[in-house]
Amino acid sequence: MVFPADANVIVGLDRADDAGVYRISDDLAIIQTVDFFTPIVDDPYWFGQIAAANALSDIYAMGGTPKTAMNLVAFPVREMDISVLRRIIQGGVDKLTQAGVVLLGGHSIEDRELKYGLSVTGFVHPRRVLTKKNLQAGDRLVLTKPLGMGIVTTAVKAGMAPAGLVEYVTHLMALLNRSAAEIMSGFDVNACTDVTGFGLLGHLAEMVCGSNMAVRVFSRQVPVIPEALEYASMGLIPAGAYKNKEFRESMIAFADTVERSHRDVLFDPQTSGGLLISVKADQSMELVAAFKNAGISDAAEIGEVLHGHEEKIVVL
Amino acid sequence: MKEIDARGLACPAPVLHTKATLQEEKPAAVKVLVDNGASQQNVQRFLESQGFQTALKQQGSDYIIIGTCGSEPGEHAQASTVPEADVKKIMVLCATDRMGFGDDELGLKLMVNFLRTLKEMGSDLWRLVFVNNGVKLAIDGSEVLEDLKAYEKAGLKILVCGTCLNHFKLLDRKQVGETTNMLDIVTGAQLADKVISL
Repeated sequence: MVFPADANVIVGLDRADDAGVYRISDDLAIIQTVDFFTPIVDDPYWFGQIAAANALSDIYAMGGTPKTAMNLVAFPVREMDISVLRRIIQGGVDKLTQAGVVLLGGHSIEDRELKYGLSVTGFVHPRRVLTKKNLQAGDRLVLTKPLGMGIVTTAVKAGMAPAGLVEYVTHLMALLNRSAAEIMSGFDVNACTDVTGFGLLGHLAEMVCGSNMAVRVFSRQVPVIPEALEYASMGLIPAGAYKNKEFRESMIAFADTVERSHRDVLFDPQTSGGLLISVKADQSMELVAAFKNAGISDAAEIGEVLHGHEEKIVVL
Repeated sequence: MKEIDARGLACPAPVLHTKATLQEEKPAAVKVLVDNGASQQNVQRFLESQGFQTALKQQGSDYIIIGTCGSEPGEHAQASTVPEADVKKIMVLCATDRMGFGDDELGLKLMVNFLRTLKEMGSDLWRLVFVNNGVKLAIDGSEVLEDLKAYEKAGLKILVCGTCLNHFKLLDRKQVGETTNMLDIVTGAQLADKVISL
């Protein structure tokens, strides 16, 4: 398919990044993104917050500041009480307020299945745009949130997760990537994305494709919700994780020592996951320390970009 | 055998049905039918986590998972507990087709003898890697070709440097081993307990 082009498109559909970027002037570009999905937690207020944090995340991953948002709502108005929708939207608005973003409007339709999400617009300096596609040899990879959200929410659906864990994972998904993005802006970051539906290795594969680089991931350093490993070994894995694995398997080499449940977690689809950052090697430790100081306690260096190799992900 | 038809169900429902059946009826063997790959892998993982041994059959677009309760408790564990600490991973890296310096004829003889004697390492021998002139040992006409083929057949992973084969224009003469790259070699060296380099 051919998409209309324009000299001011900085990031468009041709390169499938986290969001689109369009130059307004020499010192201002806008970032646009949209995301919506069906409920992933039972509590409507928290679902609203998670949907908003997830939609905002793409702006942060591109190095921008979100400014305005519009709601997208599909609601089964005949079967569900309208108060549920009010709670969802309240959750979204509260999360936007926390991010300093204004809600300008939105659109709703009647649908048999409830869906909520937002379209978000942010600002960025045209020369400060961060994309997935700029890995540099020697860079270190840093991840800011632990993996396992998809597996844990599957265990929640199965009624097998204790209340404390449900609350933990709900808060984790609702956590904005805002302060992580603000901290990151003070470092020499070469590439960035946020970990969502394709799982860590799926999103990393997107960074690797076209880079002429290979990356090495140290699986034991990757932050993981500990219960997710246990649930994975019991087969409480969302179907998306298997799809992610099948899709990218050919470019990933696992060391024999990486256990199956650990491999599963690396493919687990995340909702509102953390930022995956490729930072200059000598600044990596300082970046992780800055995250931890700011209370982003799970942040960790998880791998490195190798010099001139075929495009491959090696997991040790 | 207890049968569970979980076709038409999405994850995690097939696992939950299997779990409920195991809890209520405690069967010694179960047969679970599913109609998608994700459910198949999840049900297998679940049964294995509950101490079942699993077998898989495919029937059209459906999967049949047979789970049998691991015979005597302990027996299963015994089979899988090869004392792991005792098994070393030794990687042998041959960057030459001669052993040592001096007389080339003697060097080749020693190398042939070395490669034939390597089998004394038993299961500790984990990777055999050929680079530079070493790749000439893995091509047609090599004195150790049959020995290397026997190693490979017995399960040893033999890696042959692609850049080197290319350099000597021997790519189509390689007779044994997988063509490899430096990343695999470096990763192998990192994972090995010991690297013997010639």
